[in-house]
Amino acid sequence: MKLTILHVYPDLMNLYGSYANVAVLGRLLERLGHAVEVRRIAPGDGADLPDADFLYMGAGTERRQKFALTDFRRHAERVRAAARDGCPMLFAGTAMELIGQSVTDADGNTADGIALAPFRTVQHTRRIVGDVYGQTDLFPEPVIGFMNKCGVISGADRPLLTALEMGFGNESERAPEGWHSENVYASELTGPLLVKNPKLLEHVAAALLTRKGLTPPDTWPTDLWARQGYDVTARELRARAQKA
Amino acid sequence: MRKPLAILACKLGYFFGKLVGKGSSLPGKLALRICPDILGQIRLPSTVIAVSGSNGKTSTVEMIAAILRADGRKVIYNKEGSNQIEGVATMILTHASLSGNVRADVLLMESDERYAARTFQFFRPTHFVITNLYRDQLTRNGHPESVYDALRPALAPETELLLNADDPLSSCFGQDRQNVTWFGLDRCGISVPSPTGVYHDGAYCPVCGGRMEYAYAHYNHIGAWRCTACGRERPRTQYAVTALDLQTGVLTIDDTVKVKLAFRSIYNVYNILAAYAICRRCGVSSATAAGVIENYVLKNGRMRTFRLGDHHGTLLTSKHENSIAYDTNLRYVQDHGKDCVVVVIVDAVSRKYFTSETSWLWDIDFDRLNSPNVKRVILSGRYCNDLAERFAYSALPAEKWEVVETIPAAAGTLKASGSEEIYVLTCFSDRDKFLTLTEREA
Repeated sequence: MKLTILHVYPDLMNLYGSYANVAVLGRLLERLGHAVEVRRIAPGDGADLPDADFLYMGAGTERRQKFALTDFRRHAERVRAAARDGCPMLFAGTAMELIGQSVTDADGNTADGIALAPFRTVQHTRRIVGDVYGQTDLFPEPVIGFMNKCGVISGADRPLLTALEMGFGNESERAPEGWHSENVYASELTGPLLVKNPKLLEHVAAALLTRKGLTPPDTWPTDLWARQGYDVTARELRARAQKA
Repeated sequence: MRKPLAILACKLGYFFGKLVGKGSSLPGKLALRICPDILGQIRLPSTVIAVSGSNGKTSTVEMIAAILRADGRKVIYNKEGSNQIEGVATMILTHASLSGNVRADVLLMESDERYAARTFQFFRPTHFVITNLYRDQLTRNGHPESVYDALRPALAPETELLLNADDPLSSCFGQDRQNVTWFGLDRCGISVPSPTGVYHDGAYCPVCGGRMEYAYAHYNHIGAWRCTACGRERPRTQYAVTALDLQTGVLTIDDTVKVKLAFRSIYNVYNILAAYAICRRCGVSSATAAGVIENYVLKNGRMRTFRLGDHHGTLLTSKHENSIAYDTNLRYVQDHGKDCVVVVIVDAVSRKYFTSETSWLWDIDFDRLNSPNVKRVILSGRYCNDLAERFAYSALPAEKWEVVETIPAAAGTLKASGSEEIYVLTCFSDRDKFLTLTEREA
């Protein structure tokens, strides 16, 4: 089947290898025998976002995030409708902040988010940087990644990572991280997230397939390097978490 | 009374530190503790030059010092590269008399981008050279714009800025001020129609967010840019590379000054141009400057040659977490490499611990290795799986690259067979892990 991924603002929200989340998702779907089209959406493009089977936005600097939000607000109603309709979407890195109620910058200026999620973000001049190792309710394997943000998020009622053994979550050290509701996934983690966590990649791909009426495979095609890379990193981070 | 005490403590600390091989920032730290505003109480030379930026600081500073000395000036600079306030304090105070006079014509210093504002709260450079600002050590720096915000307060209104016109971000420092000297590369032999690389940080204007367009680019998003929304564009340069041929290694500055390059890398060209520009601003003749940079071989050892079995090899130091540094070295291999095998080593990203942050590998344009002269690529080090995963998404066919987990095993494999040229790409922190397994070239 032909599957369409919308990559929103690929040249604007492009920090920390963000594009790789799309690359690995596309490759996995292709290995399952589907044709994948990635449509790149730039600020100012068209009146409406086209229909798609997946929507993705990555991390950007605070300035670029503002430029992105100004444009993304035009699409707010449509993105919320797509989410209600079960369209899977991932907001990775600072893109997560845009789907909340508001983003307040380090100077205290507040801008409205697209109100897909209930949380609010307040940015500070101090950056929050470091490795993250935590658990999710979606699958038993730990989630790994790297945090590089300056926003503190409050009111994320349904975190993606329910418990952190290491790292800064939405609001504080070892607090829950990200947000997840139905098929909407949001996390400030980079690494990039879907490259680093093969299980999360499969989970997201399964959501996409199921919505299209397709059955996710019993056994997923394995990506040896991603799997081994995950094992090494998870082992090392676990050891660091236990030492701390 | 604290001033002479602080200076003395610094000098003694430096002397004993040298004996035990200790770093160059501790003595300065000690002096700053005794007298926190000591740097504001020193009589500095009439010319104080600071150099900052993501890439090229150390090399540029080294060449500026060489040119100024050739012109007969007495120059003091931090060649040990301790570029935060403590290191700068060590350098200044060890060269000061106890009454606080620094007897030299020029004080020249490399300054860390993020901490420059701290260093320059006590004294103001007369000239500030900024080489560029782009993705570099993002785990430490956040992102290029956060570095921009941190560096901006260090630039006093009276300080003359020397800025890279080709860099859309660091050129913003020149907005709304007159005392700026611009340097850059005109369209020349290496220019390409549009930006290159995996990501495009010049796609949108850093000031207004409008779409940018390029008349040409030299590497990545460095080139002749213009914002289609606010009209901001690459400024007119006062010092320019007007012709460049990296194949023959000949560089022409301002149509008249021709120099041969010892190291034919685009970085070297920008560093030379920046050094040339500041020295000309300080009154050095073009002949003196050109005489020094002609075939100038950097002493800071970014490039090392070696022998391994029947192979001759070159190690190109790239900074981990700095994708443009890698891109530039990959381009060097592609442009100048004979038939070769390339080794990419990522063994330690942080000196302290293993990290999950390997996103910068996705920012590197490894597709450049899909070049006919590159016969084989070996990926090695503790992060070899992450490297391999990245390569699986590159343009290189799978049969062209392989993983050899440990560095000794990678060196052993190479030593056992073949005689082609080897290029090793790795970071300072991992460099010696490979070089110690080779014979250094005489």
